[in-house]
Amino acid sequence: MNAIAIAEFRLLVRNRLVAVCAILCPVLFGAAFYLNRDPHAAGGSVAGVQVVTMAAMGTYVSATTTLASRRQTLYLKRMRGAAISDRSILTGLVIPLITVNIAQIAVALGILASQSAPANLPLVIAAIVLAEAMFTGLALATAGLTASPEQAQYTTIPIFFAALAGAILSQAPGGDLTALKRTLPGGALTELIMTAWNGGSLSNAPLLLLPGLVWAALGVLAARTFFRWEPRR
Amino acid sequence: MRETTHETVIEAQDVSFTYRLGRGSAKGAYTAVQGLGLTVRRGELYALLGTNGAGKTTTLEVLEGHRSPASGRVTVLGGDPSDRRRVRPRVGIMLQESGLVAELTVRESVALAGAVSGRRDEVDAVLDRVGLTAKGRTRVAQLSGGEKRRVDFAMAIWGTPELVFLDEPTTGLDPASRDAVWAVVEDLRTRGTTFLLTTHYLEEAEQHADRVGLMHAGNLRREGTVADLTANSVTTIRFVPPSAVDDIPIPVSGTENGLVVIRTRTVQRDVRTLNAWADAHGYELARFSVHESGLDEVFRALGSEGTKA
Repeated sequence: MNAIAIAEFRLLVRNRLVAVCAILCPVLFGAAFYLNRDPHAAGGSVAGVQVVTMAAMGTYVSATTTLASRRQTLYLKRMRGAAISDRSILTGLVIPLITVNIAQIAVALGILASQSAPANLPLVIAAIVLAEAMFTGLALATAGLTASPEQAQYTTIPIFFAALAGAILSQAPGGDLTALKRTLPGGALTELIMTAWNGGSLSNAPLLLLPGLVWAALGVLAARTFFRWEPRR
Repeated sequence: MRETTHETVIEAQDVSFTYRLGRGSAKGAYTAVQGLGLTVRRGELYALLGTNGAGKTTTLEVLEGHRSPASGRVTVLGGDPSDRRRVRPRVGIMLQESGLVAELTVRESVALAGAVSGRRDEVDAVLDRVGLTAKGRTRVAQLSGGEKRRVDFAMAIWGTPELVFLDEPTTGLDPASRDAVWAVVEDLRTRGTTFLLTTHYLEEAEQHADRVGLMHAGNLRREGTVADLTANSVTTIRFVPPSAVDDIPIPVSGTENGLVVIRTRTVQRDVRTLNAWADAHGYELARFSVHESGLDEVFRALGSEGTKA
């Protein structure tokens, strides 16, 4: 697994397409939300939308693209002929993306925290971990339906925009759309991060963690059905 | 010293494999391999030959554990070929299509394959063995097709596996590179490595294989040593006729470019007859040649067979 992860780190830097997807785009998203924030408001809403959109772009879109690319070039097939497990192959492929993404989120939230520190840091960290797990599971599932890295630009759109919508809508808690916002991937997570960052009652925390866990589980289950190690003949 | 034992390394019994071409569609099914039986012994070099689409690569991928057979049984090194812990560390695989990452260097690619192989070796030693030392820092994207095949080959032989699968290992290589690959194969055989390979170069199979299996339409149609397979084939005698063709004491099959052509299964007797006839008349049999048929003619005959075994 380590050897695959090291190779992927190298490729992150060397492949322009992946570098743009995994490194530059999430940073731009994070920066855009930070620069457009209300400077008088608490930092929670910006933190929530930053985490969800940066993870959606940096982990979900990048991992889907990477997996589709590795399958198209028969790299996955070659690795499957080796003496390592499927889990190690997939972990080695996505760990670099997740690591880079967590580092990006940490920097973005660090800048935000310098002005408005989170009230409940452990819960913020738990939400970030859950966001990464959810988007990794969804990436595995989407990659199963994606024939090429070029196609990933389209197949990732529904989940990405659903997460974006969930994150943006959740900045205004309550209202008639509460159930919908919390059901969208990232909606409940945004609300959870807002609560953890700004401080407030944590009675809703289990309810807000649940959709993320369900999405992660659905992603893994779908991946078991749809994920392919070779291009379809 | 090369040694072939009776220990079975690969055993396939009544193996079939069907591709589903459309999701859940029975109409879109294509049976690539049907009822195949195959045994490879330790230390042997077994060449799997066949017409295009005969099922060679599918057979190899089933034996490698890349595909599960629809029916039948496959045993490799005494276990399931897809067993990553017990079997795979003992097996080297060279796929027909590359699976290399363009942005990695040759050295990085070989080191990565070695790291996941379950075997130990040195990158420098492996690159040297396949003649790629000078290309170590070159990215795969910048290699020629032949050089990429040598990277594939390097990955397959990393750590001197007990068994190596090679799918068309010399396709795209120049003659010198092909010789270099075969030199490595022969060297590994002296260390006890067993090989199962596919190739379209029949002369390579004739020269290096202990046994040859000829596939057609998903079945193994012929199997044996090259001598076995060519034993009953026709030999061709050619020479410039010294007199009228009708005077020649054995049946003539025809003429080609001014040469008499005699196709025979009793070559020694016919050569003796021709020599005796020429001596008796004081003839010189100009451009006299005897061409023993090889696998190519067996192969061509195979191609004209139907699709049913």
